This record gives sequence, C-alpha cells and structure tokens, in this order.
Amino acid sequence: MGNGTPAVTDELGRQSEPAFLILTSLASGSKHGYALAKDIEAFSDVVLGPGTLYGAITRLEERGLIAPVPSEDRRQPYLITSTGRAALTSAVRDMRALADEGAARLGLRAPARRRPPRPIVAGFAP
Amino acid sequence: VRESDRYRRLIRWYPAKWRERYGEGLAALLEDTYGADPVPLRSRASLARAGMAELARDAGVIGRSTNSNERLRAGSLLVLSGWSFFLVAGAIFAKFSEHWSFATPPAHRTLSSVGDSAVLWAGVAGAILVLAAGVMAIPAFARFVRTEGWVSMRRFAVRDALALGTAAFLTAGLSVWAHRLSSGQRNGGSAAYEILFLLCCLSIVVAIIVVTSSVISITRQLNFSQKTLRFLSIIALGLTLLMTVVVVGTAVWWISEALYAPHFLRNSIGSGILFTSNALPPTLVVAGVLMIVGLFSAVVGSLRVFGAFQNS
Repeated sequence: MGNGTPAVTDELGRQSEPAFLILTSLASGSKHGYALAKDIEAFSDVVLGPGTLYGAITRLEERGLIAPVPSEDRRQPYLITSTGRAALTSAVRDMRALADEGAARLGLRAPARRRPPRPIVAGFAP
Repeated sequence: VRESDRYRRLIRWYPAKWRERYGEGLAALLEDTYGADPVPLRSRASLARAGMAELARDAGVIGRSTNSNERLRAGSLLVLSGWSFFLVAGAIFAKFSEHWSFATPPAHRTLSSVGDSAVLWAGVAGAILVLAAGVMAIPAFARFVRTEGWVSMRRFAVRDALALGTAAFLTAGLSVWAHRLSSGQRNGGSAAYEILFLLCCLSIVVAIIVVTSSVISITRQLNFSQKTLRFLSIIALGLTLLMTVVVVGTAVWWISEALYAPHFLRNSIGSGILFTSNALPPTLVVAGVLMIVGLFSAVVGSLRVFGAFQNS
C-alpha cells in the first residue's frame, strides 16, 4: 500500500481499534461519551469499556485528531478535526485497498465502483 | 450517596490532572450507562486498568506523549525502584550466605567465592553510584526547597523519620538482646527472639519502601538541567548493569553451593517449611524473586532511557 498510509493505519490501529472506531463514529457528527459508545456498538458490534473509550479519547485529543466541543452539560461532546478526518480518510483507503486485494485473491466479486468520468476530447469518439 | 459521587469514586485510579480534564465526562458516561444499577466487575476492571495506565503515562513510564527529558527521569526512577528491591534481596542474601565457606569443601570454594565476591563488589559499586546520583541531585533539591519551602517536604520527612526510627529502634533492641542470648537461642531456640527478628526485618523492608517512594515523589518535582539529567540516566544504566552482575553472581554461588555443599542450603533459615530435600531454600527463593522483579523494573527503565537518548 502506497503513499505512506501504513503509518497512518499504525497510528489509528486496525479497524477494531478504539481510535479508529471513535473517529469513524465522529465522522458523522459530534458526540459525547455515551452516544459514542452506543453508536460504535450499533455499527461495529464492539462494546468499548469506559476505561478503554476514555483512554482512546485522551490519546486522540493529545494528537489533535479530535477536539472537545464547548458544553454547559457534564457530558463532554467531541468532534473530529480536519487532521483527524485526513487520518481517517487515509486509514479507510488503506483498508479498502487491503479488502480489494483480499477479494481479488479469493476470487470474490468486488463491489461495483463508480468509474471516474472519462475525459471528453473534441473530435474523438472512443 | 449521590450517583455522581459513586461514579467519581470509581475513577479514583486516574491521576488528579487527568481527572480535572476528563473526570466529569467519564463520570457522566458511567452515570448514563449504568444509572442506579451496580457497575459490572468488567467495567470496574477496565477503569482500574486504564487509570493505572494513565498514572504510568503521567509519570513518563509509558507512552510517547511525554518529552525525552521526562522519559529520562522516569526511566532512571524505575531503575532506582529496582535497586530498592535489591537492597532487601541483598540483605537476605548476605544473612543467608554468612559462613558459607566453612560448610564448603576447600577444593570446591572457587566458584562460590567468585559468585559471592561478584555480589559483594557489585553491591558496593551500586551503592557508590546511588550516592553519586544523590550528590548530583543536591543543587536541584536545594533550589526546590528554596522555592517551595520545607512545608512541602514535611509529609515525606515525618513519614520517613517514623519508618527509619522504627527500624533503627527494633534493630538496636534486637542487637542488644542477641548479645545476651546463647547461639542456640539465637538460632531457633527462642520463639520470642524469632518474632522480634521477623518484625525487625519487616520494619527494614517497610523503611526501604517508604524512603524510596519519598525519593521518587520528590525527584519527580525537581528541575534538573539537561546535563545533570543525562548524567543521572547514565548512572541508572550503570546501576542496571551492576544489578545484572548481582543476579548472575547469586546464581553462580547458589548453583555451586547446591552442587558442592547442599547441606549448607538445607540447614539455613527457612528450611523445614518447604523444599527441605532440595536446593531451593525459601529464604533464598524470596531473595531471588525480589532480584528478578527488581532487575525487570531496572531493564524496563533502562530501555526507556535508551529510547529517550535515541530521540533526543
């Protein structure tokens, strides 16, 4: 896998890693601890213990991948930062490439992908 | 008891600085998840494990978030913690191996002698290194006392004085009493003497633990220059090497005695409780375990120091 993405994947861990799951959850909007835990459980079937969840939140915030949203409530919501979004994008691309490679080697049909539009060159019909 | 107080108690494992920043959010998460229900053991364990990991991270023992100076300091302090185990283990070994040469045939004393000498000289060299580290820390300590005052030290001073005073009092009492007893009474003939001997040993172990924890707590607050910190880290690496020599020396002496003077191992303190028919006397096993734990701590600390040297 190219473009230095393995380093990003290493940073976030594999897809079952708390950091990756939290960023994935926050990609659809800011959430506080309880909402994060429930959302992660719903989309991945992974139940994160409270210690694990807050340990990952601490590391992600230290690395500037998520940030707290000002709140009057005791519940502290977090949002994904632009750095976090970039890291998640890289990790997702990395995983997709790995999944495609696995599917190809197993002879599985790869899901249909939208092709990029072909350039139209005047006076030339393909 | 209010629910929020109950949940705040559950996060007591975390360092105060962490609790200030994330404590309310985590307590709210627990309250939302469990309400008035009891918190499952698995979640309690998750909190305890994560809290202790944060404590270790806060102390610079694990993690990459702290700067290289903090990692040097944390690594060196881990080595010092390892050395405190060796103080106890060394005292046990010294008492245990006393008079070994009388029990060992002259033709087979060489290996035991090499092991025993290695333990002795590595121990002396280690004590000199710890003393040198203490001397190097004096200027930073003096600056700390000037800025913070003795009030910040009172808690440690009282605790240390109490632990050291108790150990000194019991040791002096034991020594005076021992001179009035016969050899037979000192070696298992008097139950009261044995109880006082055990209490004395326990008080020495407690004093070592208390003083080491005070030294670590104070050292974490001192502002060392980069140069001093590097010297202290090099001393820590040297200390780890010496601890390795002590372990190897002990093993050589132990194996040699087990081969050539097994009766010496069997007839020593602790025999009669366990393993009486082989070369594993409980007292020496305790010393060995303490050495292994101490060496493990020192090696982890040294790896931390190496990592910090490479990054800086």
